[in-house]
Amino acid sequence: MIEKAHILNEDDIDRVIRRISHEILERNKGPESLVFIGIQKRGVPLADRIAKNIEKFEGTEIKAGKLDITFYRDDIGQNIKPNARITDISFDIEGKNVILFDDVLYTGRTVRAAMDAIIDFGRPKSIQLVVLIDRGHRELPIRADYVGKNLPTSLNESVEVKLKETDGLDSVTVVEKG
Amino acid sequence: MLSKKSILDADSLSLEDIKLILSNVDSFLEISRRDVKKVPTLRGKTVINLFFEPSTRTKTSFEIAAKRLSADIINFSPSTSSLKKGESIIDTIKTILSMKVDLIVIRHSDSGTVKMVDRFVDIPVINAGDGKYQHPTQALLDLYTIKKRFGKFEGLKVAIVGDFLDSRVARSDMNLFEKMGMDVTIVSPTMFLPEDFSGMKVKHCIDDVIEDADIVYMLRMQFERQDRKFYPSVMEYNRFLTLNMDRLGKMKPGSIVMHPGPVNRGIEITDEVMDTSGELAEKIVIEEQVTFGVAVRMAILYLILG
Amino acid sequence: MNKNERKDILIKSGRVIDPEKGKEFISDIYIKDGILAEMGENIKAKGKELTEIDAKGCIVCPGFVDMHVHLRDPGFEDEETIETGTLAAVKGGITTVACMPNTSPPIDSESMVKYILEKSEDAACRVLPIAAMTRGLKGREITDMGLLAEAGAVGFSDDGRCVGDSRLMYEVMRYSTQFGLPLVLHEEDYSVSRGGLVNEGSYSSMLGLDGISSLSDDVIIARDIILAGRSRAKIHITHVSTRGGVEMIKKAREGGLDITCDVTPHHLFFNDSYLASFNTNLKVKPPIRSEEDRLALVEGIKGGVIDAIASDHAPHLDTEKNTTFRLAEFGTIGLETLFSAAFSKLCREEKISLPRFISLITTSPAKILGIDAGKIEVGKTANITVIDMEAEEEIKRDSFISKSRNSAFIGQKLKGKIVCTISKGKLVYINK
Repeated sequence: MIEKAHILNEDDIDRVIRRISHEILERNKGPESLVFIGIQKRGVPLADRIAKNIEKFEGTEIKAGKLDITFYRDDIGQNIKPNARITDISFDIEGKNVILFDDVLYTGRTVRAAMDAIIDFGRPKSIQLVVLIDRGHRELPIRADYVGKNLPTSLNESVEVKLKETDGLDSVTVVEKG
Repeated sequence: MLSKKSILDADSLSLEDIKLILSNVDSFLEISRRDVKKVPTLRGKTVINLFFEPSTRTKTSFEIAAKRLSADIINFSPSTSSLKKGESIIDTIKTILSMKVDLIVIRHSDSGTVKMVDRFVDIPVINAGDGKYQHPTQALLDLYTIKKRFGKFEGLKVAIVGDFLDSRVARSDMNLFEKMGMDVTIVSPTMFLPEDFSGMKVKHCIDDVIEDADIVYMLRMQFERQDRKFYPSVMEYNRFLTLNMDRLGKMKPGSIVMHPGPVNRGIEITDEVMDTSGELAEKIVIEEQVTFGVAVRMAILYLILG
Repeated sequence: MNKNERKDILIKSGRVIDPEKGKEFISDIYIKDGILAEMGENIKAKGKELTEIDAKGCIVCPGFVDMHVHLRDPGFEDEETIETGTLAAVKGGITTVACMPNTSPPIDSESMVKYILEKSEDAACRVLPIAAMTRGLKGREITDMGLLAEAGAVGFSDDGRCVGDSRLMYEVMRYSTQFGLPLVLHEEDYSVSRGGLVNEGSYSSMLGLDGISSLSDDVIIARDIILAGRSRAKIHITHVSTRGGVEMIKKAREGGLDITCDVTPHHLFFNDSYLASFNTNLKVKPPIRSEEDRLALVEGIKGGVIDAIASDHAPHLDTEKNTTFRLAEFGTIGLETLFSAAFSKLCREEKISLPRFISLITTSPAKILGIDAGKIEVGKTANITVIDMEAEEEIKRDSFISKSRNSAFIGQKLKGKIVCTISKGKLVYINK
């Protein structure tokens, strides 16, 4: 792996998160109907951070859950050893506006799987998608509602997102596959 | 993937197969803890639960495992349907094959039947217990239960207590336990042992092992099926083989009691032991075995059909 | 076959084995009008209707005698008939079979003995009935042994069953001495075997199959030796399978008893480790025993304790074998592999001499049954088998002539092939 470019540093990510927090509130006319679901594993801290922001702005606690999509993947059979993390959605999603979080939006398959999984829990009013990076190359008709940064990439590059909660620091870099 | 698609007996499971299965179970155990205990992994696959011998636990365990993975599972108990009309087992299998199923789970009261069926079909077959021969998925869930408690296998001392000769569980367990490097002692009276047991580590009374064993594995004892059994009485059994409070109290710290279920209270294990609470109760892992059984069978179905 | 009927036969340059005299020599054999007319070198046969068989490099010996065969006729003709069973026999080089009485109805009456003899008049080989010792093979009343003997029975047996009533067995033995016919005994103590399926030992334990302990055979052999000692009956223990059995028979004979025994090719060939596949064709009675027992059987043959090899040919329908091991019937067919299976083990592996081996399937069983068979004699009806000893064949399910296919030997490579068989003076089988 050859590191090619630093895309976002800690301050950049902070700013992006604040912006998206406001966008979510604006679009949904307040926090009342919202529940957050982070896709394991880096969608989870993103959801937590934005939930905390909104709590700060509005004084309302937002329920945030975790979702593991391993067994919903369409390539599960090819992936011999599943490594499932916790799914914890201990609230009702029926009629809610579900905000779904992931770090990178790429082919769209992860999001497809996540939507399948969410619908097993109930029928939300809507599902909206937050991603830190949209790197293009979609294979399914899926788009994000809130994007931290659009980042055109080539197929032999990969986007590496690190977050304090999972990796000890906040950064986004593009690396070339070796 | 598994080296063989079918799971017929413990003997033909390689060490790699066993490790692969065990290392997969955690993920499936996670699913069982979710609010929505169902994932679409095996959507569109059809599994048949072919039980020629009555069973509730194993049948239900496979059924739940398949359903949690979204496979369609059909329960078929031929003893209550067409077999009464003299249909042979091979005819039954042919009928099932023509319905295009993806996997057959079989239990039968005759030893060797699952191996025979496997020769007739080209889809995977899982042995859910055949006669006195083997019950490999039970042995795998037993291993997983042990792994969860001890985090290792090597050097653990296991005492398998009861009717060794007629127990498919004992046969499969003994094979896998020894494969994993555990030290197995059979605690059995002569009539439940092979005529020549010189190659095995054998004791005749549970008191000989109770203080030293890490795992005391109690086998189910069936006094009602006595056609070839010569054991004198329950009283005699209680004296030499039953796990009672006194014996439970002598077990060393961290040791556990296992049983494939269902327990004959008052024969293998006394009521007091079954209903005990507090510190000693933590030794009894029989319910954990059942819980883990579902996850282990999910892992097996996933590894075969996924 | 009909075309060959009237033809005279000249067998050229074969290695003739005369098991009676223990001799081997190169010779031609000329068969005229079904009679062995001439033996010697460079026979010049005349006549147009002559079949010549080039037997150079082949063994030429008396047609075999199989003293333990289930022809299933009457009653179970879907498994075998006298016609198909004898055709299978001649394919195996056998020209005389003694058939067991557990048919339906059983051979326990004069009329049944006559039925077998009449129905087999045109059969490919000679068929000699062994009649029941007890009526209906039920082990309760003695059959009309005198009438059965007069009708042509060559021996008495309840084969497949064992008379549990020791007093009755004793009386059967005493009565049989009046007629001089042997009692062919299936030895099994049901209170020991108890519905068991395979030999009791490490394999039965490993496979979770109920065992038949060798005690089952041994307890009854011991009893029958005691009874024969008192009654002075001529007894023959058939399909002996245990070390203990061989040892007891040896001692009893040394003690002066008129006791003989036979063993099957499958008990000589297999041990119970072969059961690990749950192959129901290996489910036989007595069960395939341990390697220790098998070696004792081989020793029994080498030491002369075991007198004969017999197939215990037991045809069963596919539906009776393609089922669970517990439900499958006991028995393997064996006529067509009698020679090759036993030859592969005894001559090829154990180096038993050919004349001695041939005597176990010719003169020796003939002597036990007191019949004139198993010999090569000028002036007698020709019963001759020609064998290619070097040929090797893998036994296949579809290669059998028998109506049934339940052979324990399917998949085994066996040495020695029957080239042709002359039975009742006719060329009845040629291997192409």
